[in-house]
Order: sequence, then C-alpha cells, then structure tokens
Amino acid sequence: MNDLSELEKEVKKLRPAQPSPMLFERVGEALENCKASAAADAKWKRWRFIETPDNWWSLGFGVAAAAVLILFAAVTMEHRHERQQIVAQSSPSPETRPVPLETKRSTSPSRFVPAGGTNVVYNARDEGLRFGDGSEPPVRRVRYRTQQTWRWRNPETGASLRVSYPSEEVVLIPVSGQ
Amino acid sequence: MEPIASHENWRNCFAEVAPGLLLFARQWVQSAADAEDIVQDAFVKFWRRNHDIANRGLLYSAVRSLALDFIRRDARRARRETAALAEVEPAIEPHFETEDDTQSALAAAVESLPRDQREVLVLKIWNDLTFSEIAGALEISQNTAASRYRYALNNLKKTLQPQ
Repeated sequence: MNDLSELEKEVKKLRPAQPSPMLFERVGEALENCKASAAADAKWKRWRFIETPDNWWSLGFGVAAAAVLILFAAVTMEHRHERQQIVAQSSPSPETRPVPLETKRSTSPSRFVPAGGTNVVYNARDEGLRFGDGSEPPVRRVRYRTQQTWRWRNPETGASLRVSYPSEEVVLIPVSGQ
Repeated sequence: MEPIASHENWRNCFAEVAPGLLLFARQWVQSAADAEDIVQDAFVKFWRRNHDIANRGLLYSAVRSLALDFIRRDARRARRETAALAEVEPAIEPHFETEDDTQSALAAAVESLPRDQREVLVLKIWNDLTFSEIAGALEISQNTAASRYRYALNNLKKTLQPQ
C-alpha cells in the first residue's frame, strides 16, 4: 500500500498538457455570445425550431398572425384614445367628469411602438399610355413592385418585431401634351 | 463552495479546471483539437446553467457525454477512435508535459492503461474528484470507482517495475 502511495505521488507530479490559448478565447467568445442567459434556453429551442425546414411555414404564419394582431391592437387603441379625448372634451362639468380612462401610455413590457419602415422599389414597369373616354387626358400607367418592411420596438425590453411583405402599386401619371 | 457562475472572472475558474478536463476528454478522442471543442461546449453549458461548482461531477459527466456523442456522430471517426483505443496506440499529441525519461515512461504507462481504469485515474489524480463524484460522473458505483483506481495503480506499478 505504501508502494502505491509513493507511486500515486509520482503520478501526481505529471502535468497534463495545457489547453491552447485559443481555447480560452473561444470559451470567452461563446460566453459573451450567450450573456443573456435568461433567454438562452428559449433561444435554443427557437433555433432548433428554425433549423427544421418543415417549420418555416408555421413560423411564417405565426409571424404574420402576430403582426396582424399587433396592428389590430394598435388601431383599436388609437381609436379608443381618440374617443376618450372626445368624451373628455364634450363633458367638461365636474358632475359629469369622465371616468379616468387610460390616456397615458401603458408601461406594460409587452407594448411595442413603431420604430420605422422602409419601402424598397425593386421593379418599376411602364405599362404605356391609357386613354379615357375622351374627356379626360391620357395617363401613363406605371406598376411598382416593392418590398415593405415595418419595424416595432419594445422600449422596455428592447425586443423588436419586423414584418416584411411584397406589395404592388399601380400609379397613373397624367400626361400633358406639349 | 462558491457557485461557479458567481465568479466574475470565468477565466480563473476555467484555467483551474481546463487541463484536467482536457485530459479527461482525451480519454475518448485522440485529437487535442477535438477534445478542446468538447471541453468548450461542456464548460459553456455548465456555466450558462449556473451549476454549482460543488456539483462538478456534472461538468465531467457533460464532457463524457459530449465526447461519446462526438464519437457516435462520425462513423469513420468512431471507427478510427475505437481502433486507436483498442490497440492502445500512443496518441499523436502528448497527454502530458514531461520533464525527463522517468516521467515519459510514467506518462506512457498511464496512456497504456485500460480505458475504464485510466478515466478513474484521470478524474482522481488530475481533477481531484472524490470517488463519490467519480461514481456520479461515470455512472458507476463508488466501490467500482475505488477498485478501478486501485487496479490502475497496480497496473502502473507492474508496468514500471524493472524486468
């Protein structure tokens, strides 16, 4: 047993090969990348979802549905806001003071505010002159194909939502004769 | 013991465990680069999940699991690794930094041990795990871990004894 203890001491003197300095850099980078560790698991699940090609359609529908809901909610809130202001203005007497309605902006973390939008024209086709019934001047019909992108941002959480879709627009340009 | 994730400087923590982890990973993969990949994945997962360092058996268990996955993923590599392990060929890159011939002989003797004994030895000597932690990491009983360690030392002794 004593022999084994001696041998154990000798074995302990052996030093394992050191990892390369690159490993430290890589681990540091990986830890930096996943600093938002609270969302790490969710992110992982989401990536796994996205990596599956069959789920792309479901994801597309999901995003589209979410965008429609947000737009609907935004429009509804805007209408309500306007209505509240009208009610408040038309009922100035203290007896009929309007019920304190939500005129302040919600501080809910789930609120998204518009952060911008782009409209990129990737194709414009001149479809030629169009003549009316004679009383109206001719017009030139131009068809624009565009990609519209709208962005919303949640100022509380920093989360952002982007909806992008193709659109087509026909513009009639009056032609004046020289 | 302080939870691993509470260390602001992960480098200190990693520098402490990395050589032992790497040596442990190389019980399955011969290439140091592959072993580093495995250690990186295991450590990052361990850190991210805020595991307690007192529970470090989990870290070694993760390394082992990732190493086995790695071998399974690539059939060709698996065949090569299995052949290498079965024939107990010396590794291309050394597992240890040796200073003299005695140490080189000792390192060679360690590398020639059967894998089940070698992994217990690596966890005990260079990673300072208790038999209980080794048992948890390797999914064996504590008695098995202790006896494999004893067999490993006996085998080393036999190998190093002058003929």
